[in-house]
Amino acid sequence: MPLGGSSPVVRSAQAERTTGAKFEQPGRHGSTGRTPRGARAERLAPFVLVAPAVLIIVALRLWPLLLGVNFSFTGDDERNGSFVGFDNYAELLNDPLFRTALGNVGLLVILLPVAVAIPGLLATFIYLRVPGHRLFRGVYFFPAVLSPVIVGAIFNLMLGFDGPLNAALAQLGLGPVDWLGDPDIAMFTVVGVHIWATFGMALVVFLAGFSTLDAALLDAARMDGASLPQIIWHVIVPGLSRTIQFVFVTTMIGMLTSMFGLLYVMTSGGPEGSTYLPEFYVWIQQGRMNRPALASAASTVLFLIMLVVGILQVIVLRRAGRED
Amino acid sequence: MPGKSLGRWVAAVPMALLAVATVYPLLFTTNAAMKTRREYILDRFSPTSSLHLENVAAAWNSVGMARYFANSLIVVTVAVILLLLFGSMAGFALAQLRFRGSSALFLGCLAALFVPFQVIMVPMARVMADSGLIDTYPGLILAYVAQFLPFTIFLMTSHYRTIPVEIIHAARIDGNSTYGVYRRIMIPLGAPALLSVGILDALFCWNDVLISLLMMPSPEHRTLMVGVTSLRGQYSDNIPQFASGVLIAAIPVLLLYLFLQRQIADGVTAGSTKG
Repeated sequence: MPLGGSSPVVRSAQAERTTGAKFEQPGRHGSTGRTPRGARAERLAPFVLVAPAVLIIVALRLWPLLLGVNFSFTGDDERNGSFVGFDNYAELLNDPLFRTALGNVGLLVILLPVAVAIPGLLATFIYLRVPGHRLFRGVYFFPAVLSPVIVGAIFNLMLGFDGPLNAALAQLGLGPVDWLGDPDIAMFTVVGVHIWATFGMALVVFLAGFSTLDAALLDAARMDGASLPQIIWHVIVPGLSRTIQFVFVTTMIGMLTSMFGLLYVMTSGGPEGSTYLPEFYVWIQQGRMNRPALASAASTVLFLIMLVVGILQVIVLRRAGRED
Repeated sequence: MPGKSLGRWVAAVPMALLAVATVYPLLFTTNAAMKTRREYILDRFSPTSSLHLENVAAAWNSVGMARYFANSLIVVTVAVILLLLFGSMAGFALAQLRFRGSSALFLGCLAALFVPFQVIMVPMARVMADSGLIDTYPGLILAYVAQFLPFTIFLMTSHYRTIPVEIIHAARIDGNSTYGVYRRIMIPLGAPALLSVGILDALFCWNDVLISLLMMPSPEHRTLMVGVTSLRGQYSDNIPQFASGVLIAAIPVLLLYLFLQRQIADGVTAGSTKG
């Protein structure tokens, strides 16, 4: 059944490489490997198996990447399709909305250690078998499976002016906060909700890292009378450096690429454009403003940011790992 | 050691508070969904006196949730089947077969893994439009397959690498061709990984809003998550109804989580340990 379903794709992929003979025959019967025709089919089998995946990835991921970079150097509207050099990039730099988006990327980088430390600390406690650790693990992970759109909708209720959070603050004698309406606060609110929704994912990754940690080291440290902060700093952090590195990179990529749903539902980029991120900017220019070339330029900038952030993190964390 | 266990209890308190903060938003929403409008306006925090399931029914019927639900179900099902098929075929070949260019192909997949959708969405929309696939089911399915295939291949490859080569040799001596090995050995032995990866792919596709917004512009083609984004405007003055709509959209995923928590976590960590 699985092979049969793919045969049209398989056949066309073969036709490009061979004279068009029917090689799916041995695949159907599965046991004609000794005839000469079967031998040729055997030789081609790996290529047949990877063909659909390669075609899709090349046609719909790698090719569009090149297309997009090329597209970013062309014009929109009346200059449609003509080469305009770096005009789109210049326009981006002069657009206050895009500058806000870049500024918010900077804010994400600053908040990144918080987003990594929270799941890291919680995983440490769970690993040290705090009472109820199984329950905590299950509860913390569940928001990670919810769609950002649903999380955003739920938090629209939670953060409303007369919603539960402000009600709780009122109990403490603190005034209501306009969580999503105040330009100075809104971005922190959205990032906070994103962390709420995703820390369970990083927590599970940390726990997987802990399972590779040598428990004897921990026992030895305890014997020597090390305090919890000392254990974390001198045993757990060096022992988990690869995991920490992985969580740093994936959390950053997650912040740059999976907050669209939250932004779309919670703030739509407002108030006063204060919650723009590059991905949201790309969407607005492409979907609302009909400026695909400008959107492509913004996409290219986003890609470069991610590349730089990723490489920097790997370098910095490698160096930190080596000193230990 | 009493001191040590005391320390554990001290840590458990903030952790319990955080657990409450994790669960409470969903409880509040569920509670709101069960109230009448009047009840909610008078007191939004008290537990509801009765289960007003008519909100849920009304949300399901009036906004076209049923239609969005069906759209999501069709697209996600086909996309996941194709992802698992293509992903396991390529994963098997890359992990177990030696052929020219195999390591280059694997590197290409890894590279594609780090190209987020936002970076290629503009040209992708154009490619889809040029080939007449925009606003069609096959178009969105293809977009999802393209988006999550590198991840699927990556996980299937690392899983298939753990299958001993002796099993494959034995199967070949028994007269199986490469395709026979794939069908009779790789599919059954890969089942746990296929389940984990399939659930994750299904979650990614089901939860997506950006790709769907871009590829399916017309209202009757909306997927469930895009439908949810339009709830707020429709029910701004009727919060229980709004909450009901959100709940409907969340229930399938919550059920999946309740029953398949372990498999989901396995999929997530399988991706991390190879990083």
